[in-house]
Amino acid sequence: MLSRIAHELFWLGRDLTRGEHTARMLDGAFHADVAGSSGGQAIALSWDAVLAIIGAKTPAPPEGAVDSAPHLESSLSVAVQDDGEAAELPQTRTGIARLLSLDLESPASITSCVSRARERGHTLRDVISTEMWEALNGFHLSLADHDTATLLQTGPYSFYQEVKARCALFWGVTDRTMLRDESRAFLEAGRRVEEADMVLRMLRVAVPPESADGPHASEAVALLHAVGGAQAFRRATRSTPTVTAVVCFLLYDSSYPASVAAAVGALRDALLIADLQPRVSPPVLRLERLVAELELQRRTPGTPSGLDKTLERVQEELALIDADIGDRYFALALAAMG
Amino acid sequence: MTLELGPDTLPGYQIPAGCWDESITADGAPRDHAARMLATLARMGPARLQATGRRRDAIFMQQGITFEIPGDDGTRRDRAWPMDLVPRVLPGSEWTMIKRGLAQRIRALNAFVDDVYHAHEIVRAGIVPWSLVVSRPAFARPVHGIRPPGGVYCHVSGCDLVRDGAGRWRVLEDNVRTPSGISYVLENRLAMARLLPELFEGHRVRPVEHYPSLLLDALRAVAPGADGDPTVVLWTPGPMNSAYFEHAFLARQMGIELVEARDLVVRDAVCYMRTTGGLQRVHTVYRRLDDAYLDPLEFRPDSLLGVPGLARAYRAGTVAIANAIGTGVADDKAVYHYVPEMIRFYLAEEPILDNVPTYLLNDPVVRGEVLRRMDELVIKPTSESGGKGVFIGPQASAAERAEQAAMIEREPHRYIAQELVHLSTAPTVDPEGRLAPRHIDLRPFAVFGEEITIVPGGLTRVALAPGSMIVNSSQGGGSKDTWILDEEARTDPAPGTLPLHRPPRLPDVRYGGWHGQAQQQQQ
Repeated sequence: MLSRIAHELFWLGRDLTRGEHTARMLDGAFHADVAGSSGGQAIALSWDAVLAIIGAKTPAPPEGAVDSAPHLESSLSVAVQDDGEAAELPQTRTGIARLLSLDLESPASITSCVSRARERGHTLRDVISTEMWEALNGFHLSLADHDTATLLQTGPYSFYQEVKARCALFWGVTDRTMLRDESRAFLEAGRRVEEADMVLRMLRVAVPPESADGPHASEAVALLHAVGGAQAFRRATRSTPTVTAVVCFLLYDSSYPASVAAAVGALRDALLIADLQPRVSPPVLRLERLVAELELQRRTPGTPSGLDKTLERVQEELALIDADIGDRYFALALAAMG
Repeated sequence: MTLELGPDTLPGYQIPAGCWDESITADGAPRDHAARMLATLARMGPARLQATGRRRDAIFMQQGITFEIPGDDGTRRDRAWPMDLVPRVLPGSEWTMIKRGLAQRIRALNAFVDDVYHAHEIVRAGIVPWSLVVSRPAFARPVHGIRPPGGVYCHVSGCDLVRDGAGRWRVLEDNVRTPSGISYVLENRLAMARLLPELFEGHRVRPVEHYPSLLLDALRAVAPGADGDPTVVLWTPGPMNSAYFEHAFLARQMGIELVEARDLVVRDAVCYMRTTGGLQRVHTVYRRLDDAYLDPLEFRPDSLLGVPGLARAYRAGTVAIANAIGTGVADDKAVYHYVPEMIRFYLAEEPILDNVPTYLLNDPVVRGEVLRRMDELVIKPTSESGGKGVFIGPQASAAERAEQAAMIEREPHRYIAQELVHLSTAPTVDPEGRLAPRHIDLRPFAVFGEEITIVPGGLTRVALAPGSMIVNSSQGGGSKDTWILDEEARTDPAPGTLPLHRPPRLPDVRYGGWHGQAQQQQQ
């Protein structure tokens, strides 16, 4: 198939998945911010953390908040400034929710992700099914319907619900109507790369370095909610969520579909279909090794230590795989564009 | 902190005479802990509250958080769970007192259950008459001499608290059988955070969502003879039960199986559940049905809900049952009268939370006094629950009073008399979106594992009809989210107090570089 088409499909999958994960994460951070954690400590899933995960810039500080400290510290304290302008929500929450939900200027926002995905879908009309295109287009239009002011006034819960439902609709329709060929494999590959990457980013930001104090269990719960895996975790482990248990679950447990292990496994399966010569393909070989490594670590008895280092290593490996995918499948098309 | 709230915060807000209001003082000024919340509500105005109410109903209906009420034509129909949009706020210092009082009370009730089925010390000391104990319907002979692991009988309990006209907390009722309502505590909090996030602004509300973890830990802790990984199940009477929503909710939150009687079987005094992989040993049963239905071999032989042989397995110590069999003897309404004495007897402490003054009617002198004051008192049958058969003197007609008096004369031991408590009120959204005082109570939930833990707050039930003191949801009652505030308002964490944990360096986020590059080229 055309390298350009493969590239577009791959990134269509990535954009949509990024939008969905952003929505789940914002919902989780929003809830954690509102409902609070005990002990009065800053929660792991703070607004700063969300920004760091998605790789977006902090919104410009509001007037009055003159603090010129580097953004990673300042925005949390802005969130809890005294009630000078009591009619307004705190700038951080409003600002970040707007930035990451609706702001078309910011490439990281959900709306931007969806609109990019729709643009790609537009150029792929002949490759994807009509129902998939309609799901994408409807998604894009429904986001335009939302009135920013109302959304932020009333709490963005229903907005995030909508995003999750529309993503699920797209993938459901894809399952039902798209031919399981190479094209589908590239779409799937993009989805899975992004899934693994987003979960890894979140885990890396949330997991403290080995030396730091163990955070409160409610932060682990917030983490689970931000992925949408709270119930799955309970059923799978039947234990109290601690940070270590949650990280191991989200990293190793391939029976949970959004875990890193499951995403990496599915990515390998997709590339096995997409690649004409998988046995000599660098990304496939790397993936085989990563899948085996994760499985081995899962089966190693005892409490895992140095999880932050493990996460870093896995993410570096994933970045290499991503680069390999680009080199092997898309390089030709990109060269033509450049 | 400047707030634009004066004595006239809530125009037209009339606190009923003789009642304590949770948010407004007698002269109309907001109480400190509620001031900020009332200011936010005032800013939102009635129209917004009405709109939020509609959104709440839509969300609850969609999620299936409903309960059935009989319609006008006799059919039953689903209604969205009636959660009021104004939370009930309590300062942390007050909660500390309540928490200690409840823990003390539950410890004493637990000690009483143990005593009743073992040494009978409180009877020998002449404090509680043995004839009263054995005549309680919940007294369970089959478990005489059985002591569960850790000596804990009342793993889960909920006491109903009310606040009288002077602002004093009183225990209205104990419940150490299968108290329900905790699922609504968690759902209310979740819904409030979604519907009105701005109300939380400037408050630090203690979280409640760890309850399922607490409960699961407690249930696992009492599992007998399980090396490693005990199996805990939640036993529900079935989907027809009015609390089925809660059973399913808790099982889901704890990640344990929700079983019915037909899923359980006892072989050689060991309890199993039937799984696709054969029989699997069950170590702890968190049961949500009454003693009488547990085991047709020991209790009601006509019970179709029971598991034959379960009591035998329990006596053999191969399965833990929570709450233990026979705890109902401690929350009987006639035993309630003795709880302050129990606290003094078992713990050598003075009760922190008082009872509502209660009179047992066996003594002819007391009975005469009660019969004379029939128009002021509340009469309750001792072996009923859920507000059934309660007689409220001031609201009864002369004929009803005479009828009740005759019933008391006939069977005095079946009734108790209580002073009428004027339940406190709290601002509640009325159908027009305005705030009006409505009567409320409070049911906090405690888990007794290795120690007693009480979830901050609890279920606040509210009578939605003006002036009504009936808070039961089956009779037009609603509920409120209950906030326990940490004393100091949520303020900026001082620099240096936060554990400095910078996010690690992550790889740059990529954007599929296609369009960007193409656009750049065009430019």
